[in-house]
Amino acid sequence: MGIQMAPELGLRDELSKRCQALKGGHRVGPLDSSGDDRFERMIDVPGARGSQSSLREANSASVVEAVRQYGQITQVELAAVTGLSPATVSNLVKNLQAAGVVQTQATVRSGRRAQAVSLVRSSDLTVGVHVGRRRMEVLVSDASWSVTANQRLPLPVDHRYDTTLDRVALLVAELTEQVGASLDDVGAIGLAVPGASGIAFESLPGWEAIDPAEVLARRLGRAVRPIREADAVGVAESRFGALRGAASGLVIRASSVTEASIVVGGRTVQGLGAGIGSIGHTAADPNGRICRCGARGCLNTVVSQVALSDLLRVSHGPLSLNSIVTRAREGDSGCRQVVTHAAMVIGAAAADAATLLAPERICLSGVLTADDQFLETIRTVIRARPLLSSSNEFVVQGECADAEVRGALAMASDEAAPMGSATREA
Amino acid sequence: MKENPKPLLRLRSVSKHFGGVQALTGIDLTVDRGEVVALVGDNAAGKSTVARLIAGVYQPDGGRIEFDGQPVSMPTAQSAIALGVATVFQEFALVEKLDVTSNIFLGRELIRGTLLDRSLMDELSRQYLGRLRTRIADLQQPLGELSAGQRQCVAIARTLVSEPRLVVLDEPTASLSVSQTAEVLSYVEDLRDMGLGVILISHNLTDVRAVADRVEVLRHGRNNGSFPAATATYEEILAAITGATRA
Repeated sequence: MGIQMAPELGLRDELSKRCQALKGGHRVGPLDSSGDDRFERMIDVPGARGSQSSLREANSASVVEAVRQYGQITQVELAAVTGLSPATVSNLVKNLQAAGVVQTQATVRSGRRAQAVSLVRSSDLTVGVHVGRRRMEVLVSDASWSVTANQRLPLPVDHRYDTTLDRVALLVAELTEQVGASLDDVGAIGLAVPGASGIAFESLPGWEAIDPAEVLARRLGRAVRPIREADAVGVAESRFGALRGAASGLVIRASSVTEASIVVGGRTVQGLGAGIGSIGHTAADPNGRICRCGARGCLNTVVSQVALSDLLRVSHGPLSLNSIVTRAREGDSGCRQVVTHAAMVIGAAAADAATLLAPERICLSGVLTADDQFLETIRTVIRARPLLSSSNEFVVQGECADAEVRGALAMASDEAAPMGSATREA
Repeated sequence: MKENPKPLLRLRSVSKHFGGVQALTGIDLTVDRGEVVALVGDNAAGKSTVARLIAGVYQPDGGRIEFDGQPVSMPTAQSAIALGVATVFQEFALVEKLDVTSNIFLGRELIRGTLLDRSLMDELSRQYLGRLRTRIADLQQPLGELSAGQRQCVAIARTLVSEPRLVVLDEPTASLSVSQTAEVLSYVEDLRDMGLGVILISHNLTDVRAVADRVEVLRHGRNNGSFPAATATYEEILAAITGATRA
């Protein structure tokens, strides 16, 4: 079968494309996402255009997309969703089943017997979870990324661990159900969360006394691996993003606080102690404030959500890190100064670390990097060091939008399948 | 922070009574473009009455409603829609006997030539519902056969049809699963990022504090405190709701 599809392509993207094509660019609503050509690529299937075989391929692709979106769907519903006749759907499903793409299962819908169709998973499911300060994200996938589901949920300031971890557990259960599986099919869970290294003062406020991985493991009845956010970003960028092809990389996550990780051969350097990668606790200002860790003038006391919004409190009122970066991009000079200053401080720490470790690349990720000039400022600081490469490729911006959760998933699945093999022994 | 002289919506000491019941007394409320304002309060605090005033269902007895700094009167729900208000009511304003697509486009049907463009409406409905992550496979199903969560999503999908300036959501996450709640909250964030004003009415303080910029507390039909969501704690908001503190 020649079914070629980007794994993240959803039915709604396809439909929105189709609707736009139908209506010649009529606005279909405020949430319509336009500007990609994936649908055009998707219908460009083998076989001459307009031929019988190309039509069958396109129909087959829309059946697979519908199954991907609904997780488990009966053949009758498939006909309603795709607009194909029930006989065509039945034939296509039979072919797809023979090709090992979908599986069917007898079920009951509205009192009638029906065939529930779902995608064939290539392995047990792996779950990645990221709990941040204002957002959580859950990603479920099998080893070949043929079955995926993800969900983001905004979180309140200083969210409480009981409510948040309850919602994580419910989301994991709902998402596995969405892909036509159950919690029993989940092989490994990775949880990226501040303070995962076991250092209490790095935790989210109110989370110091608990071990989030253990609490979540109890709720789900599954082992949960705690993962540092910077490690997750490092693994995600080296396998899916900006560090692909680099043997070693220094990853710096500049967000509410700054954290780093060292990636060698697609894996983070582990086992050197819990504090590894704590670039936020290198000295940035010898006369600075006392840090949560107890030392004086750590990088995190100079550049962090709290420190940066503090600088703007009198002139701008309370601002979130996101709005500081947005305003800097829009040309607000106060916010611009604050972000540039942050880049210089982080750049100096990154240059020190890179001089010591000599990584092939430095990858920057996190909220602060959403500002274009942030990266440029860091490049300028690093170019001032003769021992470091001055090429633009030496300092790169992270490419994964969901790096934390994706990396958490990858690291959890590493543990489930040793040596990074793509398939698990049954 | 600077006060915008011409906010998207401003209620100035609005009052409303039903017979002998004083539902609202001198309510002030401001919503700006790109702002999510949460309206919280106990049962019978007047939250839904405010929503219906803004939707043009009720008329205020006193005070006035301003859009863009101009006083407006909204004698009917249609006039509110014309001003750019989209409302999702707590008890769904949907027709149980009609199917999903007809409900989403009720009163705003798309027409090609002289006939309804049913296939386009079906496809758009699917897209709107897909955006909210609800899995209603059969759009020809009468609404009465759907679950409460699915019906709620249909009600929210209605706001996607028009291009509103102000979206009022009355208890939008009440009967939803966590992933649907997540989708609705992300939708609220999207609306804010597009520069729309949003009024979010909810009992769930976790949801409210996750997406709101400002939390306005109503108690017995009066304003009882306004809190910036970034700094207000659960305890402060709860104290205002229960009347332990007074504005």
